[in-house]
Amino acid sequence: MELQLGLALPTTPFSPFGYELKQGPFHNNGSCSSSSSSSGGSNKRRGGFDEDTRVVPKTLRLLLWNTNQRNGEDDDPNDLDDHSSSAILKNGGEGLVGWPPVKAWRKKLRRHVHNGRANNNRMAAAAAGNNSCGGRAFSNSTYVKVKMEGNAIARKIDLSVHRSFESLTSTLKRMFDISEEQWRKSFKLAYQDREGDWLLAEDVPWRTFIRSLKCIKLVRS
Amino acid sequence: MHKKMMFSFPDEVLEHVFSFIQSDKDRNSVSMVCKSWYEIERWCRRKVFVGNCYSVSPRMVIRRFPEFRSIELKGKPHFADFNLVPDGWGGYVFPWIAEMAGAFPWLEEIKLKRMVVTDESLELIAKSFKNFKVLVLSSCEGFSTDGLAAIAASCKNLKELDLRDCEVDDLSGHWLSHFPDTVSLVSLNISCLGSDEVSFSALERLVGRCTNLRTLRLNRAVPLDKIANILRRAPHLVEFGTGTYAADLRPDVYSDLAGAFSSCKELKSLSGFWDLVPAYLPAIYPACSKLTSLNLSYATIQSPDLIKLLSQCPNLQRLLVLDYIEDSGLEALASTCKDLQELRVFPSDPFGAEPNVSLTERGLVAVSSGCPKLQSVLYFCRRMSNEALVTIAKNCPNFTRFRLCIIEPRTADYLTLEPLDVGFGAIVQYCKDLQRLSLSGLLTDRVFEYIGTYAKKLEMLSVAFAGDSDLGLHHVLSGCESLRKLEIRDCPFGDKALLANAAKLDTMRSLWMSSCAVSFGACKLLGQKMPRLNVEVIDERGPPDSRPESCPVDKLYIYRTVAGPRFDMPPFVWTMEDDPSLQLS
Repeated sequence: MELQLGLALPTTPFSPFGYELKQGPFHNNGSCSSSSSSSGGSNKRRGGFDEDTRVVPKTLRLLLWNTNQRNGEDDDPNDLDDHSSSAILKNGGEGLVGWPPVKAWRKKLRRHVHNGRANNNRMAAAAAGNNSCGGRAFSNSTYVKVKMEGNAIARKIDLSVHRSFESLTSTLKRMFDISEEQWRKSFKLAYQDREGDWLLAEDVPWRTFIRSLKCIKLVRS
Repeated sequence: MHKKMMFSFPDEVLEHVFSFIQSDKDRNSVSMVCKSWYEIERWCRRKVFVGNCYSVSPRMVIRRFPEFRSIELKGKPHFADFNLVPDGWGGYVFPWIAEMAGAFPWLEEIKLKRMVVTDESLELIAKSFKNFKVLVLSSCEGFSTDGLAAIAASCKNLKELDLRDCEVDDLSGHWLSHFPDTVSLVSLNISCLGSDEVSFSALERLVGRCTNLRTLRLNRAVPLDKIANILRRAPHLVEFGTGTYAADLRPDVYSDLAGAFSSCKELKSLSGFWDLVPAYLPAIYPACSKLTSLNLSYATIQSPDLIKLLSQCPNLQRLLVLDYIEDSGLEALASTCKDLQELRVFPSDPFGAEPNVSLTERGLVAVSSGCPKLQSVLYFCRRMSNEALVTIAKNCPNFTRFRLCIIEPRTADYLTLEPLDVGFGAIVQYCKDLQRLSLSGLLTDRVFEYIGTYAKKLEMLSVAFAGDSDLGLHHVLSGCESLRKLEIRDCPFGDKALLANAAKLDTMRSLWMSSCAVSFGACKLLGQKMPRLNVEVIDERGPPDSRPESCPVDKLYIYRTVAGPRFDMPPFVWTMEDDPSLQLS
């Protein structure tokens, strides 16, 4: 089925459902198909756009499909569910990415806000409940900065895919091109926690590490 | 020939006339009148605005406008603010700086939004532009205080340094000391800098010698007891942002602070107030009667304290606040601040399942009723009704921006359990000048029908978890004549509406669709048939052609461009190729 592309012939603009919006619930006296058929006598002039490139294709006939059949080939609700549920799970079950739409900058501050209020119960619940990156209950980002001592360029690593120090260090070794030998001999994994203190990762259990870390540094020992 | 001479002015006269035309849109219109106006205009355009840095190449801009002094560039799509655009997507400013550095050294202003700015870029700016005056970086990232030190040290004529909402690698607070003694800043905004040490003495000295300082926004690291000293050195400040506004209550500190605030007779805008302790709030009362803008969105004070404060601010035009203000606080706001034009209410606990404050639709209805000049609203809440929205719409036909975020996706009208189609429909019907709209709550295709019908001036629409079918998208694309930016996430919109309205995309700046139902096949088709669009598929799962063509893509970003496909993409972004043989003429 070839779909119409580009500038379709402009049809007369369809007149809207011709009633005033009233306060409160109002009667639904036009489904899309009925309003599209009343195309005459519209007072919505599309002045000024006639000859330039802003003519918008009014392919009204397309409107008649899908009004009753929600399960057409393209709109299988199951597909969509799978897709959106994967968006939720992607973040280690933490919640939807980027929702509610609060800027990352504000989220960082929100953390401090809550430290001052008696909301530690909520934080603990969120951490224990559905997220593996507990400390970041307030942030939907699972990426943290990683720097190597002596290297000016910082990288970012997605923590949600790691469940242990082994897996994290093997990724870091690959990322910074450090051999197993070099790692054992000269490097240690350090991190900065929420209070701004620098600690050695080897001193803490994985869960503590994951919940309190802000960024990672590979220091030379 | 004779006629032509009668009706045309010498170039210099036209240039003089054009110099009064500042707005970008008007300049563009002027340039389209005729060839000679195009030529004259392009030589005298001093400010260039590029809404999408990939829509045109730096070389093209420089070729067309050989004498601009100021450039504004925007990079990543808006949804990058909410972590929907993966790191590394793009938006690098370096190529622009490099081209401009080579072409002309008299550039004075650079304003960037959502771009990746490296220290290398900052160093190049510092080195290349001898008369550099204004640097505004909004929601940018990729640089450290080293880059800032280079700017401070070399830009002897710097007037404005504004880092708002940036992610800066705070390596050292001593970059401030790099400013020479002769620098005379008018505006300094370092509010986004981290909590690492800021050199207070350097800051005080800097403020002291910048006698023309009108805007100063400090970062959280600056403690309360330093503010008085700083304010005393800058008595002509118009805009001031505090650092942390918390300390143990000490009478000497308090009176010092109150004295400092009262000595600043020109203060119109206050912000900052991290960790605000109510006991110190009255110190700002002397300044309140003149305040037109107040940003308390980091202040965790409760409604009663807010009400007391707001009662001191009758001339307030702009208020940013957390939802601790509650309905009661908003009702007080509505009765005292009759000049209010812009209100933003942010959630204190956005990820909590239960409401932690008593802020509902009632607060917004009260403000809409009490503040006749209200034009711009951003409101986070947990419940809404069609009835409330219709009331709000009727109260405020002058809305230009209406952004409502009901925190739980797909929340219905809490009174009738119906979708909120009618409520938002009323907004677009009554607010004829609406330019920006963000939807939330339970919404069917119907709301898009209203939007397509009524929202003729709408330029930017944000949609999430809404609609039933492609019909919804079709209504918007075919009806919204002024639409420039459309961003959609988690909606059941697929191929049909997009392909049927492909030509519309040429008239818009950009379209973002993530977690929708647009197939890879449709993206390819669109890329092939629309030569003036870049169709980017962003998919971290791996190459889209490793899956069937009917499989929906994860994220789609389409924008019009005259620069062709870009070449700085990371491995998880694919630009669909043009196919000249398939293009329609």
